[in-house]
Amino acid sequence: MTMSDWSKVKRPIPVPDEMTKPFWEAAKRGVLVVQHCRRCGHWQHPPYPTCENCMSVDLKFDPVSGKGTIYMYSLMNHAGDERFAPVVPYARIIVEPDDAKGALLVANLLDAPYTEAKIGRRVEVVFEKLNDEITLPQFRLAK
Amino acid sequence: MWNNRCKVAVSGVGFSKKTRTDEVHLAEHALTAVKAAVEDSGLKLTDIDGLATFPELRGGGGRIPLVDGVSHVSVNCMLAMLKLPNPRWHIQGETVNIGGAFQQAANAILAGVCNYAVIWRAMHNRRAPYYGLTRENAAGPRQFSEPYGFSGPGGMSIAYMRYLELYGQQREKMATLAVTQRKHANKNPNAHFYKTPLTVEEYLDSRMISHPFCLYDCDIPVQAAYAMVLTTAERARDLKPKPAYLAGYGQRMVYNGEGMIDSLEDWMAGTKSSAPLTWEKSGLGPKDVDVAQIYDGFSSSVIYGLEGYGFCGEGETLDFIQDGRIELDGELPLNTFGGSLSDGRMHGIGHLVEGVLQATGRAGERQVKNVEVSFVGASMTQATTFVFVPNPY
Repeated sequence: MTMSDWSKVKRPIPVPDEMTKPFWEAAKRGVLVVQHCRRCGHWQHPPYPTCENCMSVDLKFDPVSGKGTIYMYSLMNHAGDERFAPVVPYARIIVEPDDAKGALLVANLLDAPYTEAKIGRRVEVVFEKLNDEITLPQFRLAK
Repeated sequence: MWNNRCKVAVSGVGFSKKTRTDEVHLAEHALTAVKAAVEDSGLKLTDIDGLATFPELRGGGGRIPLVDGVSHVSVNCMLAMLKLPNPRWHIQGETVNIGGAFQQAANAILAGVCNYAVIWRAMHNRRAPYYGLTRENAAGPRQFSEPYGFSGPGGMSIAYMRYLELYGQQREKMATLAVTQRKHANKNPNAHFYKTPLTVEEYLDSRMISHPFCLYDCDIPVQAAYAMVLTTAERARDLKPKPAYLAGYGQRMVYNGEGMIDSLEDWMAGTKSSAPLTWEKSGLGPKDVDVAQIYDGFSSSVIYGLEGYGFCGEGETLDFIQDGRIELDGELPLNTFGGSLSDGRMHGIGHLVEGVLQATGRAGERQVKNVEVSFVGASMTQATTFVFVPNPY
């Protein structure tokens, strides 16, 4: 089974804003952070100006271990977006971090054929440098 | 039970002639549908004094330019076209999709602030790649999904995949839903696929779009408008068609924040929060339902409706739909007009209209026998639920 060659993909580049900057700064340093509500302890992703559980604005980004589980996934079989055509079919996985239950992160499953994506599979974070500004958190099967 | 049950009724429905894309512009579709609904009721356009709609202002993921009358049909647009002599009330919903606009119109009729309200939903399908991504950068909440190639059918496919693996089910069983609904559409002259049958083999052989969705798990985008006229039960009884009395309704009460990933559990929580309101108002339950329209923008949406509204247990849908149970002469005829899958992507107004037609014996060749209770679950994300009955109680 062939693995996707992600080097062939021209990924859209994330544009950090005031709220999301800490996430991307941490990723550049090889650290995965998730937004955490100081008031109620809720973890959420993507980051948002308010806590979606209690509406507090007292939110901070806290580091997590990077270990997690594939909570959901699906495959993309259709090259509707030409930039991703070279890697079709590929898996889009949704990871729930061990340390931040309830937060769901979109990622690709790197270093494995897409057939390895299964609900409940253990994964760990790796970092994919896109350019000098942006490093993308990704996941691979846990060793 | 609701004190106002069966005090509001749908007196007429209307359609525009579907086009695949915008060769006929949307305002024209909407006007045609509204005029047809008014005529179906036996009214004159000048009788209309209430307007309700939900225009999709973030269509195509926010990538379609907003032009009133072209990409959506607002209340402004309809007022300009109709030039009503006596407009007295309107609403243009921002949440709860067309089901919500319908419910607002029902409330207005009950409050006595207008006599005859018309509700329309106009769906735009531009001639362009559907939901295509084109930009070099990903800003806003999309910065966390687009770089990974996650968009379009991704949002719903992931929850369906979780459902299949958690319950040890097979996506192949969904063929029965797609094929049965297509059979229903083959009896619906208004359906996009009226003249096109579908076999189980074709479903199983079709190309995958976003596994576990194949081509026939996705609804067919069209450009069209449907409309309905709502009035009091008394006034409806003086009009042409048999009234469809509104016995109860509900809305989804549980939501995620914007931009959050919806999990399987979120979809289920949404539908589960809506139906109890309808059962409580109507004093009825799933076992009383003779025919059901359940939103099917993707085939998997039917799962969250059937299970969340209480028609079958969790994890059971793919077996529940087998053995003719959802056919016109089955135990629970389902999406008897073809659904969004085979009638066309209309975001729930197709389900509402069919619910009314089935309740009043006007569904032609696809009419289910002896309908006393007609259930509608419209628009997935808003999970608005309704019960229509031919005999008020």
